[in-house]
Amino acid sequence: MGYTNLRYYIGGMADWAENNGTIERSDATLAAPHAISAPPSNDSRRFAWLEMLADLSLEKLVGVWFGMIIAFGLVYWGAGIGMGWGLQAGNTPVKPDLNGLWTAIYFSFVTALSIGYGDVIPTGALRAFAIIEGAAGLLIFGCVISKLVSRRQEQLTEEIHRTTLDDQLDRVRTNFHLVFTDLGSVQQLQVERGVLPALVMRRLESVVRVFRGELQAVHDLLYRSQVAPDEETIESLLANLVICLQGLVEINDSLADATSPALKAGLRSINTLANEICGECVPHAYTPALKESMDQIQALAHRIG
Amino acid sequence: MVKPQTLAPALEYPTISREEILGRLRDRALVIVNVMAPDSFNAAHIPGSINLPVADVEAKAPRILSNLAQEIVVYCAGPT
Repeated sequence: MGYTNLRYYIGGMADWAENNGTIERSDATLAAPHAISAPPSNDSRRFAWLEMLADLSLEKLVGVWFGMIIAFGLVYWGAGIGMGWGLQAGNTPVKPDLNGLWTAIYFSFVTALSIGYGDVIPTGALRAFAIIEGAAGLLIFGCVISKLVSRRQEQLTEEIHRTTLDDQLDRVRTNFHLVFTDLGSVQQLQVERGVLPALVMRRLESVVRVFRGELQAVHDLLYRSQVAPDEETIESLLANLVICLQGLVEINDSLADATSPALKAGLRSINTLANEICGECVPHAYTPALKESMDQIQALAHRIG
Repeated sequence: MVKPQTLAPALEYPTISREEILGRLRDRALVIVNVMAPDSFNAAHIPGSINLPVADVEAKAPRILSNLAQEIVVYCAGPT
């Protein structure tokens, strides 16, 4: 695939292991962490409920948090009716009536938020409940906060990606336009004079260099961009590419052997790069129209370099 | 349309010795590529190597190894 510095380790894993080479095991690949879902290890299974909690949406998490507080409040209140050991406000037990229910829920909130005023206190087995609620409240609240923070962060990264991409696209478009205009004036000169003066040849070389850079940018965009631009954008970029390539092909054809080594090298690397822009090779699937213009680029590339 | 040529048979490439890999395990300039299936890769691989199954080479190589001049070592299960 064009790799120039590739070597082969014939022995492979068998030879490596035989000679006491250290072996690494992993649950997921380094290069493609999303490609394989590894079976959960012991560790992650032990904390599965915690992971489940962290996977909930923000709204659900807040719901779980409120639900837990109300449920614990009801337990505190119900314990007062059923077992006789309930909450105490000051030194008097909280009565199991409506007023008592409010007190129980109030106590539940104070506990879950780890405030602990101490005006209402649990007795007997309720102490254990209160501690469990305090711990669970902290955990869930922590999840809520982390959700909030990471959501904002994700938005920010996405925005940054988008702005850098937009800037890049702007630059590529401007440069393509520049290349196109320059190619046009070179072509005109050629028609008028027949042979290109050295100065114009150098100009052509630099134009080819700029074009190569932008071709690389488009190539990267098609191959490894995390934020793929929409098809319209790609379409206009490819159309620009085709026009510039056509100009280059025409100039190259009429120049015949009168090219400089630098120009030849530039054209050759353009050929290599453009050769990889074809409908079948790019990792994403695009509409037939786009594939067609990609193939057009490939065909044009074969005529230079 | 024509695709760029795929990985040619391994014999056409120069080989690398076990010792050299061992000595350069921490060298970031050397990318070690394991072309076995993900399951085999997970079970055992040379430390620091990345997994790029043969079946995925064409689709993923340009993204994972975008630099054509990158120094790369390829290996699989054994001397096949």
